[in-house]
Amino acid sequence: MPTETPRKQFQSPKKPKQSPNNVKSQSSTPSIHLSPQTPQLPLRRSSRRSLQLFTSKTVDEMLDLSTPRKALEALDGIGKCSGNNRKGSSVRTPRTLKCKFNEEDREIPEMGKVGEGNGEVEDVFCPVSPEALESKKRKKGLSEEGSVKMGKSPKCKLNEDLGKLGEGNGDVVSPEKRKKGLRNEESVKTRKSLRCKLSEEEMEIPDLGKLGDATFFPVSPQALESKKRKKGGEKRAVTRAMATRSLKKVNKEEKKGRKRVYYKKVVYDGGEFEVGDDVYVKRREDASSDDEVPEMEECRVCFKVGRGVMIECDDCLGGFHLKCLTPPLKEVPDGDWVCGFCQARKLGKDVEFPKPPEGKKRVRTLREKLLASDLWAARIESLWKEVDGSYWLRGRWYIIPEETASGRQPHNLKRELYRTNDFADIEMESIIRHCNVMSPKEYAKANDQGDDVFLCEYEYDIQWHSFKRLAEIDNDEDGECANGDEDWNSCKEDDSDTDEDMEYEEENERNAHARPSTTHQLAANSRKGRFFGIQKVGTKMIPEHVRCHKQTELERAKATLLLATLPKSLPCRNKEMEEITTFVKGAICDDQCLGRCLYIHGVPGTGKTMSVLAVMRNIKSEVDAGSIRPYCFVEVNGLKLAAPENIYTVIYEALTGHRVSWKKALQLLNERFSDGKKIAKGDDRPCILLIDELDLLVTRNQSVLYNILDWPTKPHSKLIVIGIANTMDLPEKLLPRISSRMGIQRLCFGPYNYQQLQEIISSRLKGIDAFEKQAVEFASRKVAAISGDARRALEICRRAAEIADYNMKNQISSVNSSTVKDVVTMADVDAAIQEMFQAPHVQVMKSCSKLSKIFLTAMVYELYKTGMGETTFEKLAMTFSCLCTSNGEAFPGWDTLLKVGDDVAFALKDSKDLPWLAKYL
Amino acid sequence: MGREKEKEKPSEKALNLLRSRLSDPNFIFRPLSDSPDSNYSKLKFIISTSVTEACNNSILLLGPRGSGKVAVLELVLSDLLQQYPEAISVIRLNGLLHSDDNCALKEIARQLCMEHQLLFSKVASFDDNSQFMIAMLRECGLAHKTIIFVLDEFDFFAQGKQRLLYSLLDAMQSVNSQAVVIGVSCRLDVDQLLEKRVRSRFSHRKLLFLSPSKEDTERFMEHILSLPMDSSLPHNYAAEFNGRLKKILSDERFKELIDTYLSFNFTIGHLVRFLFQAVSYMDLNAGFLSLGNFKTALSSNQRQLKLESIRDCSVLELYMMVCMKRLEVKEQTSYNFYSVMTEYKSIHDSFQTSDYYAANVCLRAFEHLLQCQLISFIDNKGHNQSVEFRPVKLLISSAELHQGLKSYQQCPAILLKLMDR
Repeated sequence: MPTETPRKQFQSPKKPKQSPNNVKSQSSTPSIHLSPQTPQLPLRRSSRRSLQLFTSKTVDEMLDLSTPRKALEALDGIGKCSGNNRKGSSVRTPRTLKCKFNEEDREIPEMGKVGEGNGEVEDVFCPVSPEALESKKRKKGLSEEGSVKMGKSPKCKLNEDLGKLGEGNGDVVSPEKRKKGLRNEESVKTRKSLRCKLSEEEMEIPDLGKLGDATFFPVSPQALESKKRKKGGEKRAVTRAMATRSLKKVNKEEKKGRKRVYYKKVVYDGGEFEVGDDVYVKRREDASSDDEVPEMEECRVCFKVGRGVMIECDDCLGGFHLKCLTPPLKEVPDGDWVCGFCQARKLGKDVEFPKPPEGKKRVRTLREKLLASDLWAARIESLWKEVDGSYWLRGRWYIIPEETASGRQPHNLKRELYRTNDFADIEMESIIRHCNVMSPKEYAKANDQGDDVFLCEYEYDIQWHSFKRLAEIDNDEDGECANGDEDWNSCKEDDSDTDEDMEYEEENERNAHARPSTTHQLAANSRKGRFFGIQKVGTKMIPEHVRCHKQTELERAKATLLLATLPKSLPCRNKEMEEITTFVKGAICDDQCLGRCLYIHGVPGTGKTMSVLAVMRNIKSEVDAGSIRPYCFVEVNGLKLAAPENIYTVIYEALTGHRVSWKKALQLLNERFSDGKKIAKGDDRPCILLIDELDLLVTRNQSVLYNILDWPTKPHSKLIVIGIANTMDLPEKLLPRISSRMGIQRLCFGPYNYQQLQEIISSRLKGIDAFEKQAVEFASRKVAAISGDARRALEICRRAAEIADYNMKNQISSVNSSTVKDVVTMADVDAAIQEMFQAPHVQVMKSCSKLSKIFLTAMVYELYKTGMGETTFEKLAMTFSCLCTSNGEAFPGWDTLLKVGDDVAFALKDSKDLPWLAKYL
Repeated sequence: MGREKEKEKPSEKALNLLRSRLSDPNFIFRPLSDSPDSNYSKLKFIISTSVTEACNNSILLLGPRGSGKVAVLELVLSDLLQQYPEAISVIRLNGLLHSDDNCALKEIARQLCMEHQLLFSKVASFDDNSQFMIAMLRECGLAHKTIIFVLDEFDFFAQGKQRLLYSLLDAMQSVNSQAVVIGVSCRLDVDQLLEKRVRSRFSHRKLLFLSPSKEDTERFMEHILSLPMDSSLPHNYAAEFNGRLKKILSDERFKELIDTYLSFNFTIGHLVRFLFQAVSYMDLNAGFLSLGNFKTALSSNQRQLKLESIRDCSVLELYMMVCMKRLEVKEQTSYNFYSVMTEYKSIHDSFQTSDYYAANVCLRAFEHLLQCQLISFIDNKGHNQSVEFRPVKLLISSAELHQGLKSYQQCPAILLKLMDR
């Protein structure tokens, strides 16, 4: 399985960030960005990332204000100062703010350690940048407002977060998952966090400067909403103040929209939060407050960060310096590595991890906290601004395996999370920062994404306690509702509608009027119930074979040869696909958008439907990019319709979402396409109609086909019909009025020849060494000679791999000979071809009983003798008894013979068992 | 007395044991399934790889009736259900019941609903059901569940437009589902019956179920008939039983007997039926199987029922049948009681036989022939007509009739003469 791979990759010895030079060079770059004057700030994320690699030396330099450049840099220090101020101010501020500031107390212990230094900094810097100071004051002033907001958060467990360090810290903190970074110098923890604080500030302040003109476009929903928050309310307040001053638009916007305003992307506290992102969420107010958020994991032995390469234990996820291990390792080993402690524990010994030195507590990273369920993670489903201006998000919780009903299963990975169907509204305040929850595929590729990388392959149903794999194409719903891209708001509502079935908890809360009363009457297999209850299908446990199984080459080959796997590339159909592309583009890009019709034909398995769908995918991505006007695409399969007339219903439903009877649908479609009557907004978009298995729509009077093919000829229809069928001359077989409408533009998909088949197979098998080259060629030549059907060729190869796999496994179990090679040979392919193409009659006749053989011979003999196609049992029996008596066999009697005849009726030929049979043939 | 009862007990027990074994397909097919070449292990490999490797497959099980297609399949399924208790759901359809696409889809939806404790609606349309099926295939695929469709009498599904097969196989190659379609049929050319689009999507795994070889048959009989030594049966009895059985099995006469039997029926199903008969003939007093038991079973299997029923007929009835035969020879294809009577009369007139009976007596003989099923009405029309006017046909061939007459002891010589003419 894919989850096996990442580990290996982490361990591969070449890691870019290992070399000290590298660190040096990177550390020097950010200093350029530090100055607020730098007008164009590069991408925040990247700058922050590079800043993570700051040496503590820089920090020292900043504090020492010898050079003017450094003075500028020191502006950044203010943020940090403000942090300290807050600590101080918490004493002064009224009681109402207490909880708020408790919170903040908690998050700055690391600051406290450098507190004095910071104080100095502030003093020194006040004159240097009056503006910054001003902003700082404002922060203080407005901090109340922010904290009041906190109180409103409905779920108090979520209401505060400790870090508020901005998402940046976490994201890139440790350069790599496996090797916890290499530092040239020893860096003390506090220093470090200070540094990261600095780095954050340093980005934010320039931001403030150009906030108004660059990033703050809350009006357009798609534009990113820039919202600053620092240390809870204060920073926010600043931004707000700035915003109101510099942008009157905002006010307007707020007045206008007295309801929720939805966004796709919000910049909040220096982090960009987008719909679909994953974030850490604070769990509860009283979470252990002494925790700081280290950016780096410490070595489990020496409790220091930095100093050389670190290696991650695959069992306890603890980090170890290579040097600190006993015996020390020179380089990161390949394969799984388990630390000595875990190994010892596995052997049953009682081991204790080395205790941290006195006065120093082991700090936990956010990742550790999450996996110990002191934190939560959620996926952002939607973002909005409340009427009062607070920012909220709708989150979908992730849970760790321990929190599920079945507990941690042995094959769960350490970094595994489950996505639940549990939703909650969370205020933005409680978000700590981003984390990366990835699908197995991404996870396999991720090797330097930092510590906050998690794997999520399954969805967990909190009601039914069952697991389900996440669908690979997760954006299906998005794709559907992207139709209404004009208004994101309504679209959002649609979205939540479709999710409604899953929001049990929500429903319980609002004690819904809509559904619950009727739920138990909804049947699963009727449309009205929208397949009600189908979500509860899921496994109680994730089966072990899915995870703990390492794929062999043969199994990988089998998987990639499956018909259901979508190949990465579609070879050998470039010409046809180009033709389809030009046809479709020509039709929809035309201003007039006159209707057209294309007829595609070819034998089964030549990639007709696949090519059209691939073209439509390409065009859709172009639509998303904005280069082509939006269109709607309807796909119908003639063989899946109960009756040809139902196609009207299906088309109408696909276009509008309403389900009506076919007569009504026909009438409405006629109105739309022939009379050019447009009812809804989206109706003026061109519509592409793909009809697969077109020949099934032929009725006696052929009215269905006529109607459908007649619409494109109407001036305002904007309908493009692509019909697919097997027969080349379908238009000619139809009535002339239909063939004249359909037969103009045709595209033929010829059967594949053997080179093409070979290319198709080998493109799928790329990188998998499981087939002999001649074997593939043999299979493709054979199929090309018979049908040219790509499905057949793939199936033959898959079957051959299966046979090879079967033989191999049997041989291994019987004799443990090491000579078994796991390669598909010609013999396997031949066996597969025999199985697929050869009729089994010969084999059956070889094994059938003696009398059946005589019977068959008698039949053939009789047929030759009379020259007729058929014969009666009576005549046959006579011949039979003749044969028997003349060759010394006992005649079994009529009734038995009749039984034999029954058995034999399906067989046709003869075998060589009884020698005398041959002369009668 | 008491001793006798004790003696009877083990033999009765043994009989019961043997009978229950013979009617249990699990016991019969288990010993044939361990070798890697057996259909059992091949089928199990295909299905279990589809379960573990999440792939779609379609398999055809072909072979004559009685060769154990369904039995082996059930064996595999029950094993796999034990191995992966949650990951498999089996949907069973039979071509004789569900050859109509609409009804088959409804049945699939019903069984899927049952399997997953969902509510099923009878009134759902074809579209709804097919979409439900596809949605379920997807959901089950995501939940690592394999749906196994067992289509018995597969040739009936390969009729008409084959919408069911098309939508099933098309869904299997497009959504990320995990499904296995297993077609069971005794038509060897069933894949040629599939429509070309369906055939292209079908993955053409074929397993052929053939009759066992002679060695296998012997091994198999010994496995079934020998008593276990460690059961509740008395040890001595079981040992003696097995010893005698071995003697019988190695007897040349027995081998000949089995050969004659297997020369016309050569599948496991038939063999099992034969053994069941033989076991049932076992003498409870003796308590052991004997060669005679097998002989009786064979002769009861080789009974020639028509000849026997001729033997039971009266002379008048023989006359009537010969008359019918003569009419057929005269190429008079359709005849009723009165035309037969005319023929009978003409025979009587020309040969002056002693057996001449009145018409009402003949009618009773005619009715008896009808009851014996030696003759039957040609069609089902004319129920309201009386028997003597309805056309009939002879259900026995002339060769058989001739043979029957020869073996009939008091058969008048004139009848044989008449037949020859």
